[in-house]
Amino acid sequence: MTAARPTDSAEELLDGAPCGYISTLPDGTISTVTRAFEALTGFAREVLVGRVRLRDLLPVTDRIYHETHYLPLLLSHGAAHEIASNLVRSDGTLVPVFLSSVLVRDDDGEPRSIRTVVFPATDRRLYEQEILRTQRGHEDIALQLQQSLLAGDLPQADEVDLDVGYQPGVTRLEVGGDWYDAFWIEPGVSMALVVGDVVGRGLKAAIAMGQLRSATRAFASTGLDPAGVLRALDRYSIAYGVGEMTTIVYAELTLASRALRYACAGHPPPLLAAPGRVPTYLFEARSMPIASWDTLHRTSASVELEPGATVLLYTDGLVEHPSRSIAAGMEALLQIVGKRAGETPQQLGRAIRDELRTPDYHDDTCLVIAQLEPGS
Amino acid sequence: MERGNPTGRPIVFAHGFGCDQSMWRYVWPSFADDRRVILFDHPGAGHVSVDDFDFDRYRSLGGYARDVVDICDALELQDVDFVGHSVSGMIGLLAGIERPDLFNSLVMIGPSPRYLNDDNGYVGGFEPADIEALLDSMDSNYLGWSAQMAPVIMGNRDRPELGDELTDTFCRADPAISRHFAKVTFLSDNRGDLARLTVPSLIMQCSDDVIAPGSVGDYVHRNVPGSTLVQLNATGHCPNLSAPAETTAVIQAFLAA
Repeated sequence: MTAARPTDSAEELLDGAPCGYISTLPDGTISTVTRAFEALTGFAREVLVGRVRLRDLLPVTDRIYHETHYLPLLLSHGAAHEIASNLVRSDGTLVPVFLSSVLVRDDDGEPRSIRTVVFPATDRRLYEQEILRTQRGHEDIALQLQQSLLAGDLPQADEVDLDVGYQPGVTRLEVGGDWYDAFWIEPGVSMALVVGDVVGRGLKAAIAMGQLRSATRAFASTGLDPAGVLRALDRYSIAYGVGEMTTIVYAELTLASRALRYACAGHPPPLLAAPGRVPTYLFEARSMPIASWDTLHRTSASVELEPGATVLLYTDGLVEHPSRSIAAGMEALLQIVGKRAGETPQQLGRAIRDELRTPDYHDDTCLVIAQLEPGS
Repeated sequence: MERGNPTGRPIVFAHGFGCDQSMWRYVWPSFADDRRVILFDHPGAGHVSVDDFDFDRYRSLGGYARDVVDICDALELQDVDFVGHSVSGMIGLLAGIERPDLFNSLVMIGPSPRYLNDDNGYVGGFEPADIEALLDSMDSNYLGWSAQMAPVIMGNRDRPELGDELTDTFCRADPAISRHFAKVTFLSDNRGDLARLTVPSLIMQCSDDVIAPGSVGDYVHRNVPGSTLVQLNATGHCPNLSAPAETTAVIQAFLAA
């Protein structure tokens, strides 16, 4: 076997490298460049060497990242690999690149120079944007699916005024499995009010929510009482593997008697506000979430509403917030409702959303408000 | 994280945007002999869990300042010397205004009370469009992507292979929270707070710092009563990494004075 003879001098090997290769002083001033770097940037080496710092070739955005992320990494670890950036070419256009650098220290350990290879990344950046678009598309689908599932007319009745609302969390990734519903069980006689929360986020949660919402409507029409509806949902969820651990509050309002029958499966309690009284939570008929370890003890409770009374169903996102306990959130909700006696469901809903939620609230929330007409 | 001499007077180091407490790796050991050294990560940086990040609490730098006060109180610190890099200079300033009793002194490295230029002649160094572009880029997440700085993949629990390889990375950060921190940092305006600081303070101004230019350091010095300004030979925005010896010497000289 014969030793291969060098085909390039070290200098030619370097200057003719198939990627940009530069050396800079610790302050970023360019000291050596290769032909490929000249071609990539459009700047001749006479313009660059000793006159331009690497950061001068970065757009402002990348410059901020360069100073706050890239250099700290390089100075701390002695190397920084495959950092995405852009370079501003001599004609003002941007070229996407990947930078990999090593820090060279002198004998005293002080930084002496930084060697950086520069790979054009135009094609790869396009692929990445395509992947990102696809991912965004999935998020959009989840949001659209959820919104289409929640769309629909509310039951209309003289005896009761309804307001419903859904607000997604601050980021689109947070599209979740919360839902609300209000529908006639028997037109003109009794209506169902529902708020539920399917575990999870994204498309899967939105689909499971749609199934449970439809199942709830179907079971409600068969004459089951609230506990019976929950038991039917348990069986449905277990049989089809859909929406285990969903929490739900299901209430049935009979207009003539103003009777409200309700049941809660692992869900925050409904809030009841009657004219001239301090609002309270309805803490009866509580049991475990749907298809959880204990589904045997489903019970219903009943309360007779006074004329003008307001009932409020909601998801935990409304009262749960990392900076305060659920108890504090529920207390805050009581306060808001308490000081807004006499307001319509629409006014009340707006006030609750404004006062309890902040612009960057990260959880989604559902709200159903039903208000009986005042007595004559 | 606590280091140094547990019976010594406490010194707290706070990192800025883009990194974590390892920013101080070349600095804190010089204080370890006789000082109780406290290092911490802002939420979303380093190893701070982010599952329950509270966007509301951290809607302004005040939330980060409250963390500083909470840390001091939780560790029952008194007579604290606080060293804040970059945006943590302002975070320390806000903490010092809220609880002057806690602090012996405040050291701000490359502080800026306002990163944006305004029409009244204030030069912060950036135009609003620059910061918009930064936030957009962070949205698309191409910026800063690298195996070493790999973001914690949030919401990708079904892809654990991404997470496993990311242990022991430097300056890793949750992308959503980093973006939030960037927004809060670069859109903050604490110029009105400067005059309210009563704690003795040192401003360390780097040469040739594009994040916090010299004119900003002068502005902070002019407006913080009784503050000391030291111009460093170190260039760039991170003298704690690029010139740790000078950085340490200046801090020690100020604290000894």
